[in-house]
Amino acid sequence: MTRLLPLITAIAVLTLLLLPVVLPWSQFIITIAIAKGFAALGVALLLRGGLISIGHAMYFAIGAYVTAFMMKSDMLGDLALLLLGSTLVATLVGLIVGSFLVRFRAIFFAMLNLAVSMVLFALFSKLYGLTGGTDGMRVSVPAIFGNVLDKAAFDGVLYYVCIALLVIVGFLVRAYFKSPLGYGLKAIHTNEVRLEYLGVSAYSITLIAYTISAALAGLGGAMAALSIGHVLPEYAYWTESGHLVLTAVLGGIGGVAGPFIGSVFLEAVHTFAVDFAADAWNMILGATLLLVIFFVPRGLFGLFEGKPAKRASADEETGDTPNTAIEGGAK
Amino acid sequence: MLNSILPLLVDGLANAALIFFVAVGLTLVFSVLRILNVAHGSFYSIGAYGAASLGLWLVSVGANPWLSYPALLVSAALVAALFGPTIERLLVRWTYGKGEAIQILVTFGLFLILEDLQRMVFGVQSLYQDTPMTLLGVTMVGGVVYLNYQILLIVLALIVLIGLRLLIKRTRMGRLLAAVVADREVSEAMGINTDRIFMLAFSIGVFLAALGGALATPTTGVAPGLGAETMVLAFAVAAIGGLGQIEGAAIAAVIVATAKVLAVYFVPALDSVAPYLVMLAVLMVRPQGLFGVAETRRV
Amino acid sequence: MTGLKGNGAVAKPNKLLGNGRLGEKEWIMKRKIGQWAKTVLPAAALALTTSVAVAQDNPDTLNIGVFTFTSGPAAAYGMPGKQAAELMIERINADGGIGGLPIEAKFVDEAQGAEGVISEYRRMAEDPSNQVAVAALSSGNCLALAPLGEQLKMPTIAWNCDTHQLLLNDRLQYTYRPNGNTIPEFTAFVAYLLERNPDVKRVAIINPDYSFGHDAAEIVKTAFETFAPDVEIVAELFPKLGASTYQTEISRLSSARPDAIFSNLWGGDLENFVRQASPRGIFMQSQVILALGETVLQRVDLPEGVIVGMLGDGYWLSPDSQANADTVAFAEAYHKRYGEYPVFPAMKMANAFVVMKAAIEKAIDAKGGEWPTRDEIAAAMKGMEVDTMTGHVRIREDNDGIVDQVIGVTAKSDTYDFKVIADMVRYDGDVFMAPIDEEPVEWIRTLDSAFLKALPKPGSYK
Repeated sequence: MTRLLPLITAIAVLTLLLLPVVLPWSQFIITIAIAKGFAALGVALLLRGGLISIGHAMYFAIGAYVTAFMMKSDMLGDLALLLLGSTLVATLVGLIVGSFLVRFRAIFFAMLNLAVSMVLFALFSKLYGLTGGTDGMRVSVPAIFGNVLDKAAFDGVLYYVCIALLVIVGFLVRAYFKSPLGYGLKAIHTNEVRLEYLGVSAYSITLIAYTISAALAGLGGAMAALSIGHVLPEYAYWTESGHLVLTAVLGGIGGVAGPFIGSVFLEAVHTFAVDFAADAWNMILGATLLLVIFFVPRGLFGLFEGKPAKRASADEETGDTPNTAIEGGAK
Repeated sequence: MLNSILPLLVDGLANAALIFFVAVGLTLVFSVLRILNVAHGSFYSIGAYGAASLGLWLVSVGANPWLSYPALLVSAALVAALFGPTIERLLVRWTYGKGEAIQILVTFGLFLILEDLQRMVFGVQSLYQDTPMTLLGVTMVGGVVYLNYQILLIVLALIVLIGLRLLIKRTRMGRLLAAVVADREVSEAMGINTDRIFMLAFSIGVFLAALGGALATPTTGVAPGLGAETMVLAFAVAAIGGLGQIEGAAIAAVIVATAKVLAVYFVPALDSVAPYLVMLAVLMVRPQGLFGVAETRRV
Repeated sequence: MTGLKGNGAVAKPNKLLGNGRLGEKEWIMKRKIGQWAKTVLPAAALALTTSVAVAQDNPDTLNIGVFTFTSGPAAAYGMPGKQAAELMIERINADGGIGGLPIEAKFVDEAQGAEGVISEYRRMAEDPSNQVAVAALSSGNCLALAPLGEQLKMPTIAWNCDTHQLLLNDRLQYTYRPNGNTIPEFTAFVAYLLERNPDVKRVAIINPDYSFGHDAAEIVKTAFETFAPDVEIVAELFPKLGASTYQTEISRLSSARPDAIFSNLWGGDLENFVRQASPRGIFMQSQVILALGETVLQRVDLPEGVIVGMLGDGYWLSPDSQANADTVAFAEAYHKRYGEYPVFPAMKMANAFVVMKAAIEKAIDAKGGEWPTRDEIAAAMKGMEVDTMTGHVRIREDNDGIVDQVIGVTAKSDTYDFKVIADMVRYDGDVFMAPIDEEPVEWIRTLDSAFLKALPKPGSYK
């Protein structure tokens, strides 16, 4: 399995690179899928630590709104600056909010995230003068290192930037998973107290994870804002947070690729479903979620890996987490 | 002075009554089943749709308008009978003892399914059924005209609160419930059929949510999206009161409603922010809620 | 909010321009036919190839997209729009279509949220076989779609949204609004109110919480400051769009004791508000102004004397509408099919189709009978003047339409079992229109009470 991983990754990336050439309409939905995939990866990361957040769409929304605000100023409207700035702000907010929230576990953690995200949602909707209220804000086409492109050309560039970031960030997160910090996060899930007996601070491990997950969601939000060209308070609504968890679990939280697989899969199914089953889309989604939880607990990603390796090499980031990660937790 | 405070009070209580029914259902289900049911708000909107449809049908066949009152109760009971036992047995039971991530996800899946089910059955247009409200007339409180129906709601909420307390303290079924809440394993060892208790508790929860929806229809319109919105408010109330605390839910409902009413009167720009700000403020200080009991960390 | 709607440009054959593959196929076909014909039937072959060529250049249907709310609380307002579109399409098609082509419409539900609406619009505009978008109902959606219309070069008729921000700063080439904007619409109500109740001192506002509601509140406040500076705004509420209950807001309004309450709630929200406010005595206590009140007259029993309007002249029972045989026939056909007379969103939609038809026919004329491109259709709308089903519209250089404003109060009718509008006034379209390039809200301040005196009086439009 492990030796195949680079090969599979290479094939997947190559497919993504060529797809818009073959199917031009796929460019927009894949850009969105990758954007949401980043947010879902953030959620998946927390799920590895046994923490479920039903408020993580707020960081997606923060990323999107920061991009919209930066675009309003003349100086900051450059693609690289926007992505960087949005991610940075989301990271900072994640660090501050996280410093309060990561003391809590289980249902309390979930609820507090929900509470913060709903406050943010209500503020985005209510502060009409600042955020445009429920109308949201327009995001025009930014420059790319000073070069001004038209929307179509920009969308093309954005697509490849998203894929490049997918690869780079993907490898970084993978490295994080395999670092002591990553293992520490999993230990939070299995037995936090023992972790502290080892002299490891559970607080800092979860805070780091929380901040990274906020950063990922913020980056995704910035991409979505640039691609759609409009940001809305609904990005922070609790059902969107639910969708992120759904995407993560559907794709599988065992590896970096899972949430992206889940995201691309959902956007693709949605594109086809919208013509003949638009009124049943939520129903399809809900049923798929239940089926995945009941029958494919390791998500779509699990299907690619085959049976989890029981060997000593099971410490490879692929095989070991999935089954238990979302099932455990406080009894 | 009193005249200017009275309307605030009536508005606060009337709002609190409406949220209370659905929030207490959520909290009851949590206290017995230890499950946070994310689809709970959907039962509220299904109850509302059911009551509005039944009421409109009664009007269309020219029935006595006073029948619209029992119709509210009947539709809530029907929703509970239809959804309570089946969903508990087929879906929720499977998640007992699993992590809260699984429980939240399974009920979120259920929420998504129920949302579309409502669109399919009841359509996407708003429904109005205000017969019960028009029958009762109005009362002047502090210079503001209120519907007698709003005051009736406050009384009904109190009856439900006291009724639930009596049910738990005074009846055999209630004591069984309390036993299961206190210790499931021991209860089972003593020969209590916990499966049945769970199904019952879940169905009562569904009934309370549907009742809240049904009772709301005479003074509100019913449209898609009602379930999602109610869910998160009920959630805020249940969390503030402490998950599993019945009286806590009642007091929290009053707090949240008062915050909302104060905002509408004095800072209308923050009307929808107020309930969540209160939730956040309370949970930051007491994550287990105002009346919740802190759980110890497991080793 | 549901997830993102997909945005694939549908892989339909390109009807308007013919895409590469189709053209090549036809070319081969033509060549084959030609070779065969050379030896056997030259004349027939010539005829056949020409007909193929014509079929390639001209589309066989006029494909349009129509954006409106067909679900949720806003559907109470959006469905009449959709129904009117269906009826208009039927009537136009029965009459030979536009430029000989039948209209084929795809309807998009705006209730899916701006994100989904944007995706659907993109998908539509990226398919060159679609010629015109009739979009949108909500001001929020119009604001989001306008820049996209420019990017994707899609002629767009903003059939309902009235926010003055839409055409304020950008000179748009593709988006046209044949029905005026919020400035004349809401200034007119203040003028009417001050004429009818000159003693008004305390005013409350309850509007939906998005640009439409906030803009209207600002315009109304500015108009009061200008025309009657001693008027005090005693409450300003913005319940969220689609709120199901207004009981607390009603208490607040009641306790503020206003002489007049202004509201531009609409759709199901308006119906909801009226149903909840009426038994609680709001209409007895204050003079209520429902800017979009015409839409609920047939559904809810409003008391007499409520000031209502229709944001323009789209009242099917106005003297001008009743003098137009086509409008009367449309209203009867609409009533027969949908069990309700066409409320003003229906008339706005019908008028949007009148404008679209006129624009395409103008473009065909300009091209000597050939089918126009999307650019040519858009250009045809510049500066156009059209007689609509309820009056007249002139499209200014900034693409904004100038239409008259009709306002009146509710009254019992001898003919109908619902309230109608009486004591009407018809303000000339351009009196309240800010000049192009002037900040419109500031422009209101340049008016004075002498300006009010010169206006026609309530009851003058008979």
